[in-house]
Amino acid sequence: MTNGWTDIRNTDVVLAMGGNPAENHPVGFRFVMEAKRNRNAKLVCVDPRFNRTAAVADRFVQIRAGTDIAFLAGLIHHTLENNRYHEEYVRLFTNAQFLVNERYAFDETRGVFSGWDDQQKRYTDTSSWSYDIGPDGFARVDPTLQDPRTVFQVMKRFYARYTPEMVSSICGCSAEDFTKAADLITSTGTADRAGTMMYALGWTHHSQSVQLIHTAAMLQLLLGNIGRPGGGLNALRGHANIQGGTDCGMAYHNLPGYIAVPKADHQTLDTFLKSITPKPLRPQSTNFQSNYDKFAVSQLKAYYGTNATKENEFGYRLHPRLPAADGGGYQNWSWAYIFDHMYRGEMDGFFSFGMNPVSNGPNSRKAIGALAKLKWLVVAENFEQETAAFWRPDILAVSDLKPEDVKTEVFMLPAANFAEKDGTFVNSARWLQWKWKAVDPPGEAKPDQEIIGRIFLRVRELYQQDGGAYPDPILNLNWWYSNPASPSLDEVCRELNGWALEDVKDATGAVVVRRGQQLSRFLDTRGDGSTLSGNWLYIGSYTDAGNMTMRRSTADPSGLGRYPEWTFSWPANRRVLYNRASADAQGRPWDASRTGIAWNGQRWVGDTPDYTVDSAPDAGLGAFIMLPEGVARLFVPGQFVEGPWSEHYEPMESPIANPLHPEQSSNPAVRQFMTKHDVLGTAEEFPIVCTTYRLTEHFHYWTKNNPYSVQLQPEFFVEMSEELAREKSIANGDRVRVKSARGEIEGLARVTKRMKPMQVGGRTVHQIGFPIHWGFLGRGAQRGSMANLVTPTIVDPNSYAPEYKGFLVSLEKV
Amino acid sequence: MVMLPVERVVRYNLRERLVHAAAGISYVYLLLTGLAFWTPALYWLAIVLGGGYLSRMLHPWAGLVFSAVLLVMWASWRRDMKTTPADKEWRKHIVDYMTNKDEKVPPVGRFNYGQKQFFWLMVIAMWALVISGGVLWFVSSVPAGFAWLRDAAILVHSISALATIGLFIVHLYMGIAVVPGGLSAIVRGEVTREWARQHHSLWKTRP
Amino acid sequence: MSLEIVRSSASSSPAPGVRVEPQLVKLVDTSTCIGCKACEVACQEWNDLPPEPTTNSTNSYQTMPATTASFWNLIKFNEHEEDAGSLHWLMRKDQCMHCSEPGCLIACPAPGAIVQYANGIVDFQQDNCIGCGYCITGCPFDIPKFNTGTKRVYKCTLCVDRVSVGLQPACVKACPTSCLQFGTKEAMLEIAEKRVTQLKANGFAQAAVYDPPGVGGTGVVTVLAFGDRPELYGLPKDPVVPAAVRFWKGPLKWFGNVAMLGGIAVAAVHFMRYGRKEGHD
Repeated sequence: MTNGWTDIRNTDVVLAMGGNPAENHPVGFRFVMEAKRNRNAKLVCVDPRFNRTAAVADRFVQIRAGTDIAFLAGLIHHTLENNRYHEEYVRLFTNAQFLVNERYAFDETRGVFSGWDDQQKRYTDTSSWSYDIGPDGFARVDPTLQDPRTVFQVMKRFYARYTPEMVSSICGCSAEDFTKAADLITSTGTADRAGTMMYALGWTHHSQSVQLIHTAAMLQLLLGNIGRPGGGLNALRGHANIQGGTDCGMAYHNLPGYIAVPKADHQTLDTFLKSITPKPLRPQSTNFQSNYDKFAVSQLKAYYGTNATKENEFGYRLHPRLPAADGGGYQNWSWAYIFDHMYRGEMDGFFSFGMNPVSNGPNSRKAIGALAKLKWLVVAENFEQETAAFWRPDILAVSDLKPEDVKTEVFMLPAANFAEKDGTFVNSARWLQWKWKAVDPPGEAKPDQEIIGRIFLRVRELYQQDGGAYPDPILNLNWWYSNPASPSLDEVCRELNGWALEDVKDATGAVVVRRGQQLSRFLDTRGDGSTLSGNWLYIGSYTDAGNMTMRRSTADPSGLGRYPEWTFSWPANRRVLYNRASADAQGRPWDASRTGIAWNGQRWVGDTPDYTVDSAPDAGLGAFIMLPEGVARLFVPGQFVEGPWSEHYEPMESPIANPLHPEQSSNPAVRQFMTKHDVLGTAEEFPIVCTTYRLTEHFHYWTKNNPYSVQLQPEFFVEMSEELAREKSIANGDRVRVKSARGEIEGLARVTKRMKPMQVGGRTVHQIGFPIHWGFLGRGAQRGSMANLVTPTIVDPNSYAPEYKGFLVSLEKV
Repeated sequence: MVMLPVERVVRYNLRERLVHAAAGISYVYLLLTGLAFWTPALYWLAIVLGGGYLSRMLHPWAGLVFSAVLLVMWASWRRDMKTTPADKEWRKHIVDYMTNKDEKVPPVGRFNYGQKQFFWLMVIAMWALVISGGVLWFVSSVPAGFAWLRDAAILVHSISALATIGLFIVHLYMGIAVVPGGLSAIVRGEVTREWARQHHSLWKTRP
Repeated sequence: MSLEIVRSSASSSPAPGVRVEPQLVKLVDTSTCIGCKACEVACQEWNDLPPEPTTNSTNSYQTMPATTASFWNLIKFNEHEEDAGSLHWLMRKDQCMHCSEPGCLIACPAPGAIVQYANGIVDFQQDNCIGCGYCITGCPFDIPKFNTGTKRVYKCTLCVDRVSVGLQPACVKACPTSCLQFGTKEAMLEIAEKRVTQLKANGFAQAAVYDPPGVGGTGVVTVLAFGDRPELYGLPKDPVVPAAVRFWKGPLKWFGNVAMLGGIAVAAVHFMRYGRKEGHD
């Protein structure tokens, strides 16, 4: 979230799209209701289904799964065409005035950007997706926005194709419904109104998910909604601590604090640091990432402690680097790729903590086939689940295997659940909230840190005794905790925040942090090994004043629900990111009743400013300090693999050819896996669009063990329209079978008015959908109804998130 | 005065007397527990009879017993209970009967018209009670859309119960207080031939 | 508690309650209900009720067709198409309405089995319940439910155990959207009216507060966007204590009592006047 849950109460218009917050975030959804009740805010819900959020929405538009970019691009067109954008904001805070590289082009009929190689079917040269750089090394700009090569003008031309009629023919909603919703959503393009967007997996589970969120970000920037109270682009994180996991390097390509992981060719610390510190693109730009060297070195000190010396480049030489891939580039160890490597027999073992890959990864048949090729599998879980039990005959049968085919040794370690251990959760609002253990774990269940600690100590011992491949990171790891077998999470929090190893001095030589003191500011870190910090983003969360994540003050001086003394919000206890954009060029809030920060003549006051606190507005540092441009990116130079703009591409399985450019129907940057399970179906064989989702009554594959949750939603079901049911002679409550090219699943038919057939590309398209929460183990009727038996292994080429939503199936009565 | 040996005839055989006794006992139980549920002023009856919960639990079973007994009674007496031309004559003189001017009352068979009416009204009320009672017994199984059925059951049950109470008062009063020999007839089964001649002169008695 | 009991079923004496307390009511704003069922589980857990087997028979997300003896709080889901293309998914919390004129209490024949407290809560006292089920007939909302094991009747207590120590009901506590609120009737009606005004301004011209006078008003007041058609939400349009129950507990009872006493009296008088018939034993 750029803003936060409590800030949603300050909004005028909520767009809930690509997420179903009433269903999946009912507690946070209270702030939507507060906005509706207290500000008469309007809620617009855009979704393939009339869902729980739609039930309380002021306007609902049904769209085909996987066409969100077209809808949002239509909104951009609507905004630009009807001058509904916040002009001053766009000029001040976005790269609208930057000039685009002369060589940049987009072929509207073929649907590809400049740099496309027809022979290789891929982008071979993306250097044209960049700015026009002047001789001074900075990007050229045209503050009047009139130059046809300004980002603004290029954008206007690019999105002009997304007329309401085009949106209608792609998305399946009527042009009239689209326009009505568009009027409401874009009504926030003024200084006195703010609109927010809430999204979740409905945007991220597509083969064009990153570009989808890019589109939403552009729209919010055009409307002047980023950085403002009541605005923002708010990702609703799914699990209680998924945000904390992301912050702390859970994904393979990031170190904690979103520092890119070192690559094979970053032989020295210096080359690595160069790769992560960009050059400024405008003269005054803060270019905050120029501090990443300090953060990275402090993090290496946290990894290797006293073993991180100047001589070994603060441990960089001990540190693993991402290996190069055979076909160029670097190896990919994101989720779907892990299971592809596993399926190909490239892995011996796998640790699965709090995960159930058989159920929650795409294409369960491939996942089971992959696990069967492992030598060993360790599952740490609260309950025995499908992954730990994948060797059971009924589960293996899904992948046409028998227990005798499987040599995998499976270890099931009972793990404590969230209520059985203390620690922190980082919520969607970036709040690090300490939680206290409620009950002791049952039986032999242990908290994760103890399981990991004990495995680590034993592995280190084995390395010490027997040696082994690549011992450096293991033997040199800084395992300083008072109880090495079960590190205290309070100590881990202290380490994530970090402390001074030597006295830290400022430019004048004055000591700002004494040796041993906890850090409280980013800028007190040093790249000379005198500070230690596990995650720079968390600096300030555990200072000498104590563990800030335990703070529980509801003091609210702003009256806007920022609660600055409630726990700690990264970064720097800032509650709204990019909050410099909440004030105009002179530092006056756009809306005096909703002040983010304001310039009082000496300094910025309000929220923790996302800006240098004493830099006058006219210094023009740029509101988006994390980017070398100093302003937000509409046009994104060279960051995303499918282009600098977001173009609507059809899902990899689609009932129609892309109406914009049938020749390049789907995302050109998508690379498919090649095993026998990685197959796609045709619209002829599988004519129905299918999507998967979650129910508020359940949490993932976990609560099927809870009798109360099972009581509320006992059995797997397939939701379908009355029209489709009639066509297939299916009555409510019948058993039906859903088939895709990958597999099939059976469940109860739930015939509902909440699903409607739609007109897409001139013909009727039906959509069905089902929730994911069932499988083989648990209470009630499980019947092997795992939703992911039918989902494809297609992933977004930027984020590698699987396309769980918007694939093709057929439907029949059993 | 010479005491002549009194000739006695069987008015009710043992089976009839047992059936009547069963009907009477079950009815009294139903009456007392029913009255307890009818008004708080008489709720003490339920307490005396083992408590409200027990009374509520046994009341419908007693109702089934009563209904079953009444069916047996119906089977054995239904022919005797048919209205005859003599009864129609008798009916014209009902006031005479009520004011004990029995000499003006025409002769009747084994049962007089009043007894027959009592019998049939009781049978009808039994059906009304058992059907409405069934609804009340299984009231939680009545779908919400059939609320009228529950409402009707309450009224039918209480109104027909009140009707039986009226009949019961008359029956008891006549049998015990007004008609000499009535009580012993239903308890012991025998009446004198004289009694039979006096009250039921058309009854073809067997010695 | 007896100081608080202002009304008690089948009581021939006045209830002992002398405390004067404001009526406490629950506000259910159906227009902000997202059907998350947190209230359902909160109710089950607070009251330590076992999970119920679910009949997944509706085409919606409703847990079961109606409340049960150990499931007192059910969100009812109704799909309603106002006109072509305008779908409304109506969700309403079904539970005891805690009527000011409780039909159940009026119908109940067991002394003290149903009581009404000074704060308006209508509560079943199962130890006094005889399981006759007359309350089921008395209730226009189909709420009291018979437990076939204990043969007694159960329903929402409005968490009287929580409320009497100053807490709000468990369902209200659990409600994430503040669709459920709890307070004095005055305060809740004020909030409800404000919301109705807002709904009217937002295109629901018929929005209204459901506080039916036929049962003397309720201890659960409900905001309905389609206030003219409460039946869309599974609520009776004009609920009243059934006329049959009123008649039975009113005129019929008096008539019956008089008739019974009268019958005995007539017999006595008859006996005094005419005496025994002549004849032999």
